[in-house]
Amino acid sequence: MSSRYNSNAGRVFDVFNVILLGVVGLLALLPFLFVIGGSFATEAELTRRSFFLWPDQFSLASYAAVFATPTFLRSLAVTIGVTAVGTVIQLAITVCMAYPLARRALPGRNLMLSLIVFAMVFSAGLIPTFLMVKNLGLLNSWWALILPAAVNPFSLIIIKNFFQELPIELEEAAMIDGASELRVLWSILLPLSKPVLATFALFYAVGIWNDFMSPLLYLTDSAKWTLQMFLRQVTVATNVAVTNADSSYIPPAQGIKFAVVVVATVPILMFYPFLQKHFAKGILIGSVKG
Amino acid sequence: MSDLLANAAPIVAVKDGPAFLPRKVTLRARLGQHRWLYLLLAPGVVYFVLFRFAPMWDAQIAFKDYVPFLGIGGSPWVGLRNFTDFFANPDFFRLLFNTLILAALSLLIAFPLTIIMALLLNEVRLQIYKRTVQTLVYVPHFLSWTIVASLSYLLLALDVGPLFHLINAVLGTKIDFLADPNWFRPIIVAQMIWKNTGWGTVIFLAALASVDQEQYEAAIIDGAGRLQRMWHITLPNIRGVTMVLLILQIGQILNTGFEQIYLMTNALNRQVADVFDTYVYFVGITQGAYSYSTAVGLFKAVVGVVLIFGANWLAKRFNQAGLF
Amino acid sequence: MRTRFGIALVVSTGLALTACSSSPPKAAEISTITIMTPFLEAQPPAAGDTVQKALEKITGKKIAITWTPNSSYEDKTNITMASGDLPDVMVIQGKTPGFIKNANAGAFWDLDPYLKDFPDLVSKSPAIQANASVNGKIFGIYRARDAMRTAVILRKDWLDKLGLKAPKTVEDLYNVAKAFTNDDPDGDGKKDTYGLIVPKWAGINTASPYDFLATWFGAGNAWVERNNKLVPNFTTDEWLQANKYIKRFVDEGLINPDYATMDSTAWNQPFFTGKGGIIIDVQSRATVLIDLFKTQDPKTFQNYVDITGNLVGPSGKLVAQPTDGYSGFLAIPKSSVKTEAELRTVLTFLSKLNSPKAAVLINNGIEGVNFTLDGNLTVPVTPLTPQGAEVTQAVKSYAQLGMNVAGGYYLPKQATPYEQAMFDKRMKIQTSDLTHAAYNPAAPYVSATQIAKGAQLDNIIADARIQYFAGQLDEQGVRNAIKLWRSSGGDAVISEINALHTKVK
Repeated sequence: MSSRYNSNAGRVFDVFNVILLGVVGLLALLPFLFVIGGSFATEAELTRRSFFLWPDQFSLASYAAVFATPTFLRSLAVTIGVTAVGTVIQLAITVCMAYPLARRALPGRNLMLSLIVFAMVFSAGLIPTFLMVKNLGLLNSWWALILPAAVNPFSLIIIKNFFQELPIELEEAAMIDGASELRVLWSILLPLSKPVLATFALFYAVGIWNDFMSPLLYLTDSAKWTLQMFLRQVTVATNVAVTNADSSYIPPAQGIKFAVVVVATVPILMFYPFLQKHFAKGILIGSVKG
Repeated sequence: MSDLLANAAPIVAVKDGPAFLPRKVTLRARLGQHRWLYLLLAPGVVYFVLFRFAPMWDAQIAFKDYVPFLGIGGSPWVGLRNFTDFFANPDFFRLLFNTLILAALSLLIAFPLTIIMALLLNEVRLQIYKRTVQTLVYVPHFLSWTIVASLSYLLLALDVGPLFHLINAVLGTKIDFLADPNWFRPIIVAQMIWKNTGWGTVIFLAALASVDQEQYEAAIIDGAGRLQRMWHITLPNIRGVTMVLLILQIGQILNTGFEQIYLMTNALNRQVADVFDTYVYFVGITQGAYSYSTAVGLFKAVVGVVLIFGANWLAKRFNQAGLF
Repeated sequence: MRTRFGIALVVSTGLALTACSSSPPKAAEISTITIMTPFLEAQPPAAGDTVQKALEKITGKKIAITWTPNSSYEDKTNITMASGDLPDVMVIQGKTPGFIKNANAGAFWDLDPYLKDFPDLVSKSPAIQANASVNGKIFGIYRARDAMRTAVILRKDWLDKLGLKAPKTVEDLYNVAKAFTNDDPDGDGKKDTYGLIVPKWAGINTASPYDFLATWFGAGNAWVERNNKLVPNFTTDEWLQANKYIKRFVDEGLINPDYATMDSTAWNQPFFTGKGGIIIDVQSRATVLIDLFKTQDPKTFQNYVDITGNLVGPSGKLVAQPTDGYSGFLAIPKSSVKTEAELRTVLTFLSKLNSPKAAVLINNGIEGVNFTLDGNLTVPVTPLTPQGAEVTQAVKSYAQLGMNVAGGYYLPKQATPYEQAMFDKRMKIQTSDLTHAAYNPAAPYVSATQIAKGAQLDNIIADARIQYFAGQLDEQGVRNAIKLWRSSGGDAVISEINALHTKVK
């Protein structure tokens, strides 16, 4: 087992790879470190220094301002709840569609796939979708954050393709043993698809978490708002302020902007590490013999 | 190999009866056989009909001068005027050119980089290190373009930005990167790579995780080196997902994303910076958005569909797996 | 099979649902006034809070407010109009083309014929009321804002070190900028400072320092009357002269070298860190800068910021750049307020909302709870009770409802005598400059071509201006750009504006 790594070329490659990836990881992280550092800095320091990772003067004022009101914490809870429920529902519907569409013999399959591709590139737009949501009675309900985006055609196609590439021998063996199509899906295909399912669970979760347009349009009751409403309001408000503002309006300090970004981003960032164990290799070992 | 089998008539098609009888299976019977599959499809189909296709009926505002107050029915019909306005704009070809160049750069540079990074990550043996780097590289995806633009300014600002000094020192020049039209595209592509590559590796890593380990073991026994293993086993195994992603990205060729470009545009680089999406935004604000942006959306969709089906057909011609 | 029918059923239901949308009939007497308004803070006030209850008492009506984040207010407005469920009172943030389209289609009441019965809602400033009107129609009660905010902010310590006084004319400004650049105002022996700081700015007539300078040079505020015709200010010679003046700054290094690319959120940085010494912007920026210096060093912060008003151009006359004087208005949609009787009810409500008592409530708060009066200035109550804090925060959003057509609320007292002196100075400059204000004569008019092509047309001029500064265009190049503007639709805009001007006058 160790023979494949112990050749000299292999070792050199490994070292080089580790260093390269380390540098890339750092480059990716640095700006976020700046945002975190900035959230702990005073406004004066943010104005004075261009780009820094560690503030000279440590201040919790930005976070104090952000957590001062219960509405912010409530929106955090709301967002976590909606994201959790929404991800499960969206992924379930998508997988239920992907499996049948993965079977080439299914009548109507190509037509459906063509329509799905069309739906992927063409979106009816803000107002028509809003009217449909309204007519279904979903206004001001959290379902309006989950259902209108329930199936992402892109995700659907990739999951379908993944199912198609699983060895058909597995299914056949099960069917010969008398399993129904549903049983095949549940007991055989899904456990083998963990990496793909984990990937799209992540995509859907991030999609719901980052969505600011849906809460903006559909939720009129401010008690139901999600984090993105605050995040966007705080980060965009600075740019809007120039034209129409009251003379007394002072745009939010950079520090508060950064603090809101940190609080709104860190929870969803933590989701991926949880999923990573499903990306482990070697799930297919021994599943197909001969 | 699984492709070959999938294309043959599935053994399960004729469950009741001897497999060799040349029985004509009616459509009705086939639908009945697969009734569970249709049941599974049902929720998704309902979703598509309700939220994707039914609202498309309202896309007729692309052919109207839509005034929200008057509603869709009450707004005046203008036929193809929104489209002709769009094409008749003297800048149309410049916009098209800028858009296509950025799309091409993204496909030719950013896309392969994503795959390469996934492959490199896959080669790391120490799981902790691999997972850590994976998480780090996908963080930029979560920062909004506003922040990316602000940071770009901080880093590249004339005479003060750290990157400004660094790059100019290396090149021996004194270029104002933010104002120079020649540097606009490199900066945009660099931002795209920074923000999206890590995110893009997630799918490839999932595909790589599904590769049968036995193939690697067999190859090692046969004496294959690192590079050979990658060439003969790893790459072919992710070919499927690569093709699909490539086709889908080709379908998105006219979508550059408005926010990123808009934030980096200024008076001195506008000639190369203006793309479809920023143009639509500007016209949209002045005209009241919806008719015009729906018309452009329709145009992009038609182009996207043609490109996707075309790319898919090409892929099939070369015996690759496609979307279907 | 059954699934197929099921699908068909769902499809037809879906289509049927999209086709019809109804709103329930409104009661003849409006007992609850529904309001839709933007808010700029991170979060809006809670429903039914202290301020709302007090407001209901003053106006005698129940109130239901839908707070909408201002970052996407335009979209939300259009969606609300498309959905048909409009409130009784709707804040409109500006005369956007989207709004104009809806207004022209009959979405809102034209209040002009009714205002004579509501003297409290009639503006004391005809110029600003004209600004807020649309081709002669008044679609809402405007929200008054400071009419004059232009200021020149300078590094006081630099002025003192070089023995200079705040500039009064544009020539003074040039000399001060020159001194700031060449005479080492920070005393460190290096030539590392410059004069004017200007960030990247989009469009024309968007209150940029360039626009202010154009007005000071006598080119007019956006539009100007020449030979009995209204023409855009950039077609005048004075506009070109103003550009030449700014180009001197660029060529001599008296302005920040990245004027074309600098991020506007970083505007304060060069001033604060001692790189640049002059900012031309709204005077509230001076307060922000003073606060920055205060956090840095509470003992010496009063030495850094000085402020002065509009500058006199080469003609010798002071032509001051005013603001529009208003920030949007409160409009009354026709589909929710259906009859004249209901309209009058709503106008009475707005009248009460505009009363001095209400003005104090929504701009200052509740006396004794979150502020007390020191003379005519407000002082926050310390220590602040939870209710006091709630009111202080809520008031920042309720102020969005303020029309202040009549004025009437208190100004806050500043924390230190220095800040109070600066504040008073700002107010003084404001009042005196206002008497020399050059209003935009074309502000009341909305031309169809401007709606169709305005932003792109404006970009032609804005880009040409910057390219001229950068040396990519010479003066003839700028003239060519103006010609291009004309031929791309600018001439149509000019004739439409003039036609409206004759008609409405």
